[in-house]
Amino acid sequence: MSAMRVDAKVVMLGKESVGKTSLVERYVHHRFLVGPYQNTIGAAFVAKPIQVGDKVITLGIWDTAGSERYEAMSRIYYRGARAAIVCYDLTDSSSFQRARFWVKELQNCEEHCKIYLCGTKNDMIEADRSLRQIDYHDAQDFAEEIGAQHFETSSKSGNNVDELFHKVAEDYNNNAFQYMTAEDTGVDLGQKKDSYFYSCCHN
Amino acid sequence: MSQRTERRGIHVDQSDLLCKKGCGYYGNAAWQGLCSKCWREEYQRVRQKQIQDDWALAEKLQREEEAAYASVHGAQALSHSQPAASQPHTGHASLGAFSKFEEKKTNEKTRKVTTVKKFFSPSSRTASKKETQEGKTPSPSISRHASFDTEQVSKDFVDFLKNLQKPGREIHKQCRAFIVNMSSKKDLGADELSECVQDFYQNLADRLMSHFKGSSESVEQVMDQVEKYIMTRLYKSVFCPETTDDEKKDLATQNRIRALHWVTIEMLCVSMDEEIPEVSENVVKAITDVIEMDSKRVPRDKLACITRCSKHIFSAIRITKNEPASADDFLPALIYIVLKANPPRLQSNIQYITRFCNPSRLMTGEDGYYFTNLCCAAAFIEKLDAQSLNLSPEEFERYMSGQASPRLNNSEGEWPHSGSAVGVTPTNPVLAQLNHNLEMLSGLSSRQESLMEAAQSLQADLIAWPKNVQREVNDILEKYPLEIMSRTVSAIDANNMDNDQLPPPLTPQVFAG
Repeated sequence: MSAMRVDAKVVMLGKESVGKTSLVERYVHHRFLVGPYQNTIGAAFVAKPIQVGDKVITLGIWDTAGSERYEAMSRIYYRGARAAIVCYDLTDSSSFQRARFWVKELQNCEEHCKIYLCGTKNDMIEADRSLRQIDYHDAQDFAEEIGAQHFETSSKSGNNVDELFHKVAEDYNNNAFQYMTAEDTGVDLGQKKDSYFYSCCHN
Repeated sequence: MSQRTERRGIHVDQSDLLCKKGCGYYGNAAWQGLCSKCWREEYQRVRQKQIQDDWALAEKLQREEEAAYASVHGAQALSHSQPAASQPHTGHASLGAFSKFEEKKTNEKTRKVTTVKKFFSPSSRTASKKETQEGKTPSPSISRHASFDTEQVSKDFVDFLKNLQKPGREIHKQCRAFIVNMSSKKDLGADELSECVQDFYQNLADRLMSHFKGSSESVEQVMDQVEKYIMTRLYKSVFCPETTDDEKKDLATQNRIRALHWVTIEMLCVSMDEEIPEVSENVVKAITDVIEMDSKRVPRDKLACITRCSKHIFSAIRITKNEPASADDFLPALIYIVLKANPPRLQSNIQYITRFCNPSRLMTGEDGYYFTNLCCAAAFIEKLDAQSLNLSPEEFERYMSGQASPRLNNSEGEWPHSGSAVGVTPTNPVLAQLNHNLEMLSGLSSRQESLMEAAQSLQADLIAWPKNVQREVNDILEKYPLEIMSRTVSAIDANNMDNDQLPPPLTPQVFAG
């Protein structure tokens, strides 16, 4: 059995082929697999311990299917998540529209979930600036508007990837600490109580 | 029974603490509010009654059997004089069998009592009392089997708690009280039951957390055991309860999956190639695992089945694609597996896990991830329409109504109007195969015919051939008749007729010398 205890659930959201899996792969295994179409690397679930200060936080990173045909189901995925990394492709404006969709969903359904906006494939922009379709400041404004952190990463070079996940763990640690002192419970089951009783398929 | 009035759980009013018999001692929730002395009396009484009931039932059954036997053999009794002897014999045999069975049952009971007594004596009474109650259910064979499982789990649980010393006893007490409490709440809705169980988990986890000074690992360990114990005991009353429409949903899902039998691996964009033996092996294993889920009682065991199933799917994808799989591959594959497996009571199982699993496991861990995917797959199958398979609505309708099958889509461009020219353009793969076979058969028969013709002509040739040879031989014989001529040549030695003309042979001469 997978006995590893997981502290926080982190979901990866984003359109197909924006590089969700590559991002996880880069972060967890420090590698980038080369190929023409990178939508299939890494496993779908990873538990990764991170050192934050003097504590170790284990993030359970959930990869999700980005295809539009499963859009109706994405709500099931991010239920109870403490953090969501919403990915978009810097060279693909449609992916940013989809990112906006997920942000809205998250804000409606999962108020305790922190959102991290993540532009991917930064290395391609650096190689050729004309490829950029999402302006940095537009994204930054959007992130501020929704109260999210904003990162531009490259899974190929590893740029900003560790920073992103470290920030996720750090924020979780701070929040969890507040939560614990506020509620004075010894257990870390940091969700709303009614979230245990979610019905998976019928709402 | 007194359980009906029993309302006590973990929270007990001060006034309710006294023994209900009013003897002045303190009562205990585990003893149904009685003090130990009154409880023992009460328990002995109930048990005696139970045993008497059992005997009464056994005697009744025996009488019935005898009556039945008598009526069957009544006719024979007139002709044979045997039945008077044979009848008591059978009666005795059945009694013998029964008393053996009874003996076994009591053996089991006493064994249980002794094992548990070692550790915590009052528990044994509640446990065995439960069992006698269970014995009353209409299908004794099933309940006995179930209670054997339960017994095993209880034993394991006690063994596990022994290591924990004092807190273990505390935990055991709490669990038992909780189970008794739950059994009085059978009429509640599923959500309320779920809430009770979750509250119990939460409370217990809180206490354990302070006990173990925050070592979450040991807490988790204990919680797993507690979950196993509690849910094994409660399974029958809380799995697919009558108060919900889970069963209806199960049937709906089952029918839905059956109606979708035509969905192919290509439509779902699954990257698994079942032609590869290793892949199909994994697919079969995955299907077995997801079906096996229904047979488990503990939510965690059910989750383990899902996780195993998922692991098999991952390896199937990895073998096919030669690289590790991601969620984009996994979810379609899981949907495909669920469609192929049509797991029994899928919705009930999902609901059961959701309601009664330890929440921390369900929300964050790996098991939780795969379970969520299974929920997604179930939801997808329920809502599946033409768009989600990249089909036109008309096509989807036709497949759903069974008028057409997608498997021929590649080989045949046009779809036949249903009913017309069935023989010419097959509408499903079986018919196509049939037609193909027929064609092959007719080809074979024509070839056989020509073979027969050739054989016959060969036979005719063979018959004609010796005649021809004979005729030719005769012709030649006629043309060149055999003439026997006189011998013209004579041998030198045979004929000495010219000997005379030859000079006489040399004679030796002697010369004077």
